[in-house]
Amino acid sequence: MRKTWLRDYIIKRLFYAVIIAWGVLTITFILVRVGPTSPADKYLANLAARGEDPAQVTEAIEARYGLDKPIHEQYFAYVGNLARGDWGWSFSTSMPVIELIKKHWIYSFQLILLSTFLAALVGILIGIYSAVRQYSKTDYIATFFSFIGISIPNFWLGVMLILLFAVQFGLFKTYYDTSVPLFSLGNLKQLILPVVTLGTGMMAGYTRYTRSAMLDNLRKDFVRTARAKGLPETTVIGKHVFRNAVLPLVTIIMFDLGSIVFGGAYLTEIIFGIPGLGRISFNAIFADDYAVVVAITLLSAFLVLFINLATDIAYAYLDPRIRYD
Amino acid sequence: MKVKLKILLLLLASLSLLAFSCQPARETGGIFISGTSAGDAETLNWILAADSASFGYAGHTVDSLVTYDNEWRVQLRTAARDVEVSEDGLVYTVTIRDDLRWSDGSKVTAEDYVYTLQGLMFSDWLNYTYKSDWQEEVGGETVFVTPQVVNETTFTITRQTVYPEFIYMVRTLTPYPKYIAVKYEGDIEAFTQAPEFNNLTYTGNLGPYKFVEWLRNDKFVVERNPEYYLGKDIGAPYFDQYIVKLFGTSATAHAALEAGDISYAGIDPDKVSKFKKMDWINVYTVPTSGYLFLAYNLRDNGWEGLKIREVRQALSLVISKELIIEQVFYGFGEPAFSFIPKVSPWYVDEGVDKYGVEPLLDEEEAEELLLNAGYATKTTDGSIEVENKEGKPLTLTLVTNAGNEQREDVGYLVKEQLSAIGIEVELKFVPWATLLRKYLMNKTPGTDEEPRYNNGIGAVSEEPWDLMVMGFTTLPLSPSGQDVFYLTKGGLNFLGFSSPQVDELFGRIKSEEALDEGARKELYADLSRLISEEQPVDFLAFQLANVGFQKNVRGIEPGINMGYNYHLWYFE
Repeated sequence: MRKTWLRDYIIKRLFYAVIIAWGVLTITFILVRVGPTSPADKYLANLAARGEDPAQVTEAIEARYGLDKPIHEQYFAYVGNLARGDWGWSFSTSMPVIELIKKHWIYSFQLILLSTFLAALVGILIGIYSAVRQYSKTDYIATFFSFIGISIPNFWLGVMLILLFAVQFGLFKTYYDTSVPLFSLGNLKQLILPVVTLGTGMMAGYTRYTRSAMLDNLRKDFVRTARAKGLPETTVIGKHVFRNAVLPLVTIIMFDLGSIVFGGAYLTEIIFGIPGLGRISFNAIFADDYAVVVAITLLSAFLVLFINLATDIAYAYLDPRIRYD
Repeated sequence: MKVKLKILLLLLASLSLLAFSCQPARETGGIFISGTSAGDAETLNWILAADSASFGYAGHTVDSLVTYDNEWRVQLRTAARDVEVSEDGLVYTVTIRDDLRWSDGSKVTAEDYVYTLQGLMFSDWLNYTYKSDWQEEVGGETVFVTPQVVNETTFTITRQTVYPEFIYMVRTLTPYPKYIAVKYEGDIEAFTQAPEFNNLTYTGNLGPYKFVEWLRNDKFVVERNPEYYLGKDIGAPYFDQYIVKLFGTSATAHAALEAGDISYAGIDPDKVSKFKKMDWINVYTVPTSGYLFLAYNLRDNGWEGLKIREVRQALSLVISKELIIEQVFYGFGEPAFSFIPKVSPWYVDEGVDKYGVEPLLDEEEAEELLLNAGYATKTTDGSIEVENKEGKPLTLTLVTNAGNEQREDVGYLVKEQLSAIGIEVELKFVPWATLLRKYLMNKTPGTDEEPRYNNGIGAVSEEPWDLMVMGFTTLPLSPSGQDVFYLTKGGLNFLGFSSPQVDELFGRIKSEEALDEGARKELYADLSRLISEEQPVDFLAFQLANVGFQKNVRGIEPGINMGYNYHLWYFE
């Protein structure tokens, strides 16, 4: 029975996902192409030095990439190519868009996955401990550091970590070295500073969310009942309180993971020189490279929709009372 | 006497040889990592590029005909001798070396160069960005110059009109292999995506390095080319690999240089003293041809006073260039009085009005000029109060692009200095795209013409402005390219400046008269004097660049063209 409604629900959501993705594609395409900027804008200084007429150069560049054609022609050509599996050519990086994404997603993925995992693990544990020992010294210390963690800007923390641990103590390289194999201890080592940079804010957030959710549930009747039944405290906290408190956390963690595509780690990537999708999308926006911008937005939309669906399914399993029919 | 001279020359030659042979041997090895936060290239298929990083990347693997040392002396590269110009200035004869090879072993010939010009750059299908460099106006028509093969190693380029600085363009020529390019002829999509051009697999022995890898937004890697035509006899280049490593910020590039993770990086002015204290880093300060200026809006939507030369001079009289250099560039700059940098062979000092430095840094003189122009009144105590024609306090709008700290700081300093003579300045920092579209681009009111950077003197920008801080670069060998800003019909004359004398001088610099270098220098001198007198813009300062190398990098000759001999750099 449960299987049937869940399957129907998934099919319905997938259908909506296609419609939403098409909407996202169209809106993004129009926004990028109708905007007043031109890919030639950034060459102005270069053109001026050479004594070129910018109008002539702009025309040449736009004609070369078909940007001089009417917007509807560009749109239908793009959608037609997309339907044939051709994501287009990135003129700001000179490679097929899909190859660009394939080559760079892993750098963002490993960083966000590790940061989220570690932040969730440590943050949740501290959050539980803080809630259980509310108003204790440990709770105050955890709260203090959580607020610091939330308040510290990533770019400042990253630069400080580099100056201290890479420049001063020489424990790490000052930047992420892509020549180190991905699946190696060397790679794990060089990810330590970026993961700490990105994970600190996340961890602080998870600590606060967990503490708050745990406190909400600790005061509930079913906890009193469980304790009255004589259940061990670890069972009460782990099985009854935490299981109920974890639901909102799942949503937050899943969305943090979903930021892989759309530059969730952009600042960390910038600081440590990690060539992930955050940097790619940011540069593409400034280069007016619409093929990359639309592709990344589209993938991002798909990922968010998928994560939403996965979260809903996880909810259904975590809380058997939840049904979507 | 002649015999003595011969003996002396022989002795000198022997001494030079001895000195050369006594130099420590340069061993091959190591990876040179050049850190930059300037941004990635767009393509290795350089003929499609418009950005300088793309030319820079490809330049590691393919040499141009010649390059220049720090004193602008010609250094032959793929050319066997310097480009020869006929006496009438119309025919340019290029002779290339006969030992240049493509990757398939075939010879690089004059045919390749001519094809690159005719078949690619001049074609309709490729839309080459810098087409106009190879065009001229003949009888009101725009036509291309005519390249022609003479023999396997010689070709000519013939113009119908004289343009003395065209030689600098010819010297930059770099070839595409005809045998590959013809496969893609006429098909821009195929040409754009051609693997040979995007992976630089054709470059043979044409450059000191061979392409290895380009990971976007991360690094560009080339490796030693043992077949390099300039290096195979002396073992150059000496680095096993040369890597351009991209950093997101200059702070992280600085950290990498300090930690010894990279071999070279540019240093921000405020960090120079810190790096000079590090005994493992060599810091060099070198001139650049990049300059900052304060543009005056001479169009109808600027303050009307700016149309008067004496009023512009008055404003320039109170803006101290030394102060800007000290406070914004931390001392790393030189006052600018025209668009020609000191390092240019065409730079002239004599007779140029040096506004903004003593003695032409004078508030009282500025007030007098404004009084005479009707923009100030004398009070009973004899002091002068600056005001507009309606007798109200004068407020000007200064605009520049947001996020550029240097330009914003210059804006604050200008505001402070103009307030000393009673002019209020309202600062506007806007995004680059907004600056271009709403402040630089203009169109004639009441028409539906497409906005351009210069739609004629009667055109105005969408938003009014009075002062604008901008920065551009001059090519020191051919500064006449700056005419785009100052010619009445100049493509970048967003100022609305128009002077028949300036137009005439630029015209003469591009004419037969300027074939004689002495005459050309005199024309540039007249132009510098005229522009400094007219003050359509207040030239503020040419910047000095600071670069840091690890101390074990040897062979560097600091200067404006520091990289000209980089194939001879080595690790100690």
